Amino acid sequence: MQAVQLTQTLAALGDPTRRAVLEGLRGGELSVGELAKGLPVSRPAVSQHLAVLHECGLVEHRPAGRRRLYRIEPAGFEPVRAYVESFWTEVLGSYAAAAHGQTTEGGTP
Amino acid sequence: MTIAPVVVEVEVPLDPQAAFALFTEQVGTWWPLETHSVFGRDAVDVRFPACADGPIVEVSSAGEESTWGTVQQFDPPALVRFTWHPGRLPDTAQEVEVAFTPTSRGTAVRLVHTGWEAAGGRAAEIRDDYATGWVGVLDRFTAAVPVRR
Repeated sequence: MQAVQLTQTLAALGDPTRRAVLEGLRGGELSVGELAKGLPVSRPAVSQHLAVLHECGLVEHRPAGRRRLYRIEPAGFEPVRAYVESFWTEVLGSYAAAAHGQTTEGGTP
Repeated sequence: MTIAPVVVEVEVPLDPQAAFALFTEQVGTWWPLETHSVFGRDAVDVRFPACADGPIVEVSSAGEESTWGTVQQFDPPALVRFTWHPGRLPDTAQEVEVAFTPTSRGTAVRLVHTGWEAAGGRAAEIRDDYATGWVGVLDRFTAAVPVRR
């Protein structure tokens, strides 16, 4: 399941415009209209990108009067982070195996 | 937006000098090139410089080279720090720091990979790595390795 989520998250982040939408939220919560003002993209396009980002958990929203405010959800980045961590876990595993190999060969070269 | 750094630790039965040398100058003897490289099955070596400012370079069977990063700090046997952008341009680099601390049984090796605050802009390149070289890592790990949280 995690692999599916990772693929979905990386696919969502693969689109430069979508990343621009995401990065537009780094300063804090914004409505679709506020977000669209800072981007060279139409408001409906921003809405569409936000929907994709929300679907894979990278963005959350809450109602505020008649508007809806969007924010970044850091937990959504966890699959990407965990993927890189697994990479290093395997690399250090190989390293440790080599170190144990040196010891059994009778000391350090 | 703050994303926790990736931290992975391992203890090895070597003194810090030997542990540091194994991680750096002898990296080509243990790095899992087939699964963790830019050239994949065509990768034949990876070379680690013996000083700061030098590049970490992967070499293919055809003699092609790919720079994974640049060493920023080289303090044997305690610490090595380098930029990290295998398969990507240097301007998308993150940073990796590896510290070697003596223990009663050898050396604790602690690796910290930082730079996730900008993951939004870099994840696409990481995806490209995934597509071109680091095949199967994820599947193997989700299946077999306990991922630390």
